[in-house]
Amino acid sequence: MFSMTVLSRAALVAAFTALATAASAQTVRVNYIPITDVTPLFVAIDKGYFKDEGLTIVPTPSTGGAAGVPGLMAGAFDVMYGNVVSTMLAQEQGFKLEVISAGTKQFDTPANTNGMLARKGAGIKTGKDLEGKTVAVNTRNGIIWLFARAWIAKSGGDASKVTFKEVPFPQMPDALRGKQIDAAFMVNPFFAASVIDTDTFEFVAAPYREVQPNVEVGHYISTQEYFRKNRETMAKYIRAFRKGVQWYNANLKDPDLVRIISGFTKMQPELVAKLSLQELPEVINLGAVATTVKLMKENGLISSDIDLEAMTAPEALK
Amino acid sequence: MSIASSLTAELKVQAPVRRKPFRDLARTRLSGAVLIVVLLLLWEVSAARGWIVSDNWPRFSAVLAAAWRGLLSGELADILGSTLYRTLVGYVAGCIFGVAFGLLLGSNRYFDWTLRPLIEIQRTLPSPAIIPPLILFLGVDDTLKIFIIMLAVFPPVFVNTYGGVRGLDETLLLTARTFGLSRFDTLRKIVLPAALPAMTAGMRIALSLALIMAVIGEMISGASGVGNYLMSMQYAMRADSMYAAVICLAAAGYLLNRIFLMLERAVLHWHHSTRME
Repeated sequence: MFSMTVLSRAALVAAFTALATAASAQTVRVNYIPITDVTPLFVAIDKGYFKDEGLTIVPTPSTGGAAGVPGLMAGAFDVMYGNVVSTMLAQEQGFKLEVISAGTKQFDTPANTNGMLARKGAGIKTGKDLEGKTVAVNTRNGIIWLFARAWIAKSGGDASKVTFKEVPFPQMPDALRGKQIDAAFMVNPFFAASVIDTDTFEFVAAPYREVQPNVEVGHYISTQEYFRKNRETMAKYIRAFRKGVQWYNANLKDPDLVRIISGFTKMQPELVAKLSLQELPEVINLGAVATTVKLMKENGLISSDIDLEAMTAPEALK
Repeated sequence: MSIASSLTAELKVQAPVRRKPFRDLARTRLSGAVLIVVLLLLWEVSAARGWIVSDNWPRFSAVLAAAWRGLLSGELADILGSTLYRTLVGYVAGCIFGVAFGLLLGSNRYFDWTLRPLIEIQRTLPSPAIIPPLILFLGVDDTLKIFIIMLAVFPPVFVNTYGGVRGLDETLLLTARTFGLSRFDTLRKIVLPAALPAMTAGMRIALSLALIMAVIGEMISGASGVGNYLMSMQYAMRADSMYAAVICLAAAGYLLNRIFLMLERAVLHWHHSTRME
């Protein structure tokens, strides 16, 4: 009898908790990749912007990549940071997604935070030089892969004559050093650590900015269903997050930023201090996204059109 | 020269040969430890001397320092704890299902014919390959990881239990029937003890599988545990901390195996195979 009472009490509590969360949804679970691009999220948490709106954020990291959109659809988290190409692929496959705020944009600044590297003295300068060679990308059919191909085509090469190998970012410098690949499209912190090693590596190009200046690389998404059901919570979330972006952009050299970044990326503060941080966007430029979608079509990633405006939260556009 | 003195002379010649340190070492269990120490020294020297240049190849002494820091701060205990928790829950669940189905299918022809094709197909599925679709149903948290651990633990336990039951001496069962033993008593007194050595062999294989699957699951999705830590340390360019976690994991795996052997010896003290170790 005792266990029955305990059980029914537990069931009641669980039911009430479920009801309470459904009614107010004041906790938002956010999935992120531990890279500097998501810093505004942690600025907004650290500075209490979400708390001011009455929101509790539960950030969950994902490094493997398999979690992503399936985890979002399964309800394992409510919002996730993802790259534009993956989102559009999922959208075309019938997952109904909502883009809720801007994430990463490649602004036209002098400092590179990512790019194509080759071995020193290998003589690789253009896409033409890469024909018959092997290029490392983190995943096939991802944004890195797409822009590596587009850059090869733009600089006079034929991407179909280039072998693309999937290599995780942390292993790219070793694979290049070990001659298992001829070039790699790297991102920070691996890009920054490799590009200064001028005895071994050579900077080839910055595909993002050379193919599409001001390209929108990443953004935050939720499912359309979650977005519509929790309209008020999402409005609060977007407001608080934007404050995080504003603080971040205004304090790029602030030592406090090093503490925040080192906190969620687990990078040593000395390494964080060496990275040249880039400004991040407050709003999404749909024209830029459309250009990327066109690029996806040209490379055979998608075949149908995507209604970008219908899948983007109005607050993210202005 | 007497026979005795010639014998001693011969012994004197042989004695130094027998004291060769390497040969003596090879006769003791210490040789295993020495090999590990030599390999670790080679690691240290290869990084210190620059034979291998990579951010992913820190000196072993740096790894030890990282392990020490991690143990002091409680970080390593934390991540190991969550991995071991999932490992054990998944392991126990997988063992229970493996034994139950092994006994059932081993002793009942109809269940055998109905369920075994399905189980044989499941056995060949590599767990990492089915993680993405599983995420849709089980989310990315503990349920998913415990489930894939269970999936990995089930086959060896099932196959061995099933084999143990099937290999049972028919005379034993006939004797049980002669003595009028009930089905339950036959299972408890005859079948289980006879299948137990095979069963525990399967469980021992499954133990390391469980630990491996826990780490793989955490690498693919997750916010805690050794697998997740390995990934985030790679992305944070902290290879020393990553190897520190690997070493702790290896130590935990070794300990688990030792504990298992102790339990096995206690349960199977009557069985000769336990004395082979």
